[in-house]
Amino acid sequence: MKNNGKDVVLRLEKITKSFGGLMALNGVDLSVEQGQIVGLIGPNGAGKTTLFNVVTSLYKPDKGDVYLAGKKITGKPSHQLCHLGISRTFQLVKTFLSLTAFKNVLIGAIYGHGMRGRQAREEALEALRLVGLADKKEVVTAHMTLSDRRLLEVARALAAKPLITLVDEPMAGLNPSEIINMLKVIKRARNERNVAILWVEHKVDAIFRLCDRVAVLDYGRKIAEGKPEEIAQNKKVIEAYLGKPPP
Amino acid sequence: MLQEPLKRKTHLSIALALVFFFVIYPLLVDAEASYLVFLFYTAFMYVTLSQGWNIAAGYAGQVSLGQHAFFGIGCYVTAITWRAGTAGYLDPLAMLMSGAGAAVVAIVVGLPLLAKLRGDYFALGTLGLGEILRVAALNGGSFTEGAAGISIPSDVYQSIKPYYFIALLISVLTMLSLWFIAHSRIGLALVAIREDETAASANGIPILRYKILAFTLGAFVTGLCGSLNAYFVFHIDTTGAFNLNWVIMPILMVILGGVGTFVGPVLGVFSLIAAFELIRLLTPQLHPIFSGAFIILVTLFLPDGIMSYLTGHKNRLLHKLSPFKWLALNK
Repeated sequence: MKNNGKDVVLRLEKITKSFGGLMALNGVDLSVEQGQIVGLIGPNGAGKTTLFNVVTSLYKPDKGDVYLAGKKITGKPSHQLCHLGISRTFQLVKTFLSLTAFKNVLIGAIYGHGMRGRQAREEALEALRLVGLADKKEVVTAHMTLSDRRLLEVARALAAKPLITLVDEPMAGLNPSEIINMLKVIKRARNERNVAILWVEHKVDAIFRLCDRVAVLDYGRKIAEGKPEEIAQNKKVIEAYLGKPPP
Repeated sequence: MLQEPLKRKTHLSIALALVFFFVIYPLLVDAEASYLVFLFYTAFMYVTLSQGWNIAAGYAGQVSLGQHAFFGIGCYVTAITWRAGTAGYLDPLAMLMSGAGAAVVAIVVGLPLLAKLRGDYFALGTLGLGEILRVAALNGGSFTEGAAGISIPSDVYQSIKPYYFIALLISVLTMLSLWFIAHSRIGLALVAIREDETAASANGIPILRYKILAFTLGAFVTGLCGSLNAYFVFHIDTTGAFNLNWVIMPILMVILGGVGTFVGPVLGVFSLIAAFELIRLLTPQLHPIFSGAFIILVTLFLPDGIMSYLTGHKNRLLHKLSPFKWLALNK
């Protein structure tokens, strides 16, 4: 499927999901093209995480479908999604604590992409180099800082050679210099791997600096989508974040 | 995998020397009269049982409290095939069938349990399995012969030596398999599942398949031990076959040695047997009390096991495994 000449990697079609009486997502459409960084923002409770969990099959949508490279993947188990080309990082970092950095990433290469032996080891080293952790490869993850663990998760996700990587608040808990480093890493990942990135973030300034496109959710609906500079001026978005100005 | 070749060579020589010692020992002494030969036989059995538990609990993080179920299945498969005349004395085929029987039950029961239950609940589910099978065997009519149990004619017994060597062989094969699994991609997947299931699954590991694999392998070797035990005691009843000792002792031994390690359980088996024998010799009456106190002290103050003193790795793995998590509160 082509869109402006580029391949659409991930396409969400009218995703609806409710929890009891609460409509967490209401007919959300979204598409991400190859090599594109798409930011997903919105106030607390807007449905960002729910949308993520629908894409990664933690939830099954009530209505609507998820397509990866044109193929319907709604509800497939998460290890299969990884094989098909969706890898992810977690808001609360989930590294394999007793294993070294290298083995963490090796798991991504072996099980995420089905590589073996030397090829897998080389891919793991390459992914570690990309995020700047090559010199810490033999460090046990339990002894790493939060910022390094977040970078390690990105490396592990990239070692699976995905079509698209979902990153869930990779800046959470990082200090300003670590945030700048993370921005560089995400940019480098896109440039070197031509991987699509769907990025949920609370730090709106970070999103505006790097994303090609930004989608804004509010109360389960997509209220705006476009280039960062358009979104920053969008009245609805400002209202969603700050409330309506008094008449 | 990352050890220097020299160190690995030393380890291999130590292992070979030990196996060599155990092979020639019963040939040098009067095996039938030697208590030590019997103790070694028991130890080999427990090495297998311990590693059978360790692969699922220590490596994959799935703590089973139902190993006695698999042991009991091994006992009964052997006893029933013997009674039916399909198996002979110390018949390798019957032993393999006993292991396979336990493995099949592990798959059938493991599929729903491992798919639906986590942590404490999985442990309780497996504990229930042992109890259900015990009651089933008790009410099994002429098939299991109820409370009276099945007797194998004991006049075929000639020597302890075949038992000793079979137990040694099973434990060496178990250790070898575990070594290869732990150092392969399978071992990597098992540890990943133990550390974080969600992340393991998101990174492409089919977690249910690997959990079942670890659980089933553990059940298989436990079933083998049950079979050998049936040939040794010549009488299989529910209290002996489905005895909780077959699950509690291996767990203790693994914890004492070092949960999730390769060598630890072996150290745990030999030290626990040595300690219990010593206490029994010194204070025959107080033995159960001391043994109980010993168990409590070890789990509280030695959560990383003996191995941690040799390797210096103190990762508190035990306190991260589900039914043992509460121990961490005491620290």
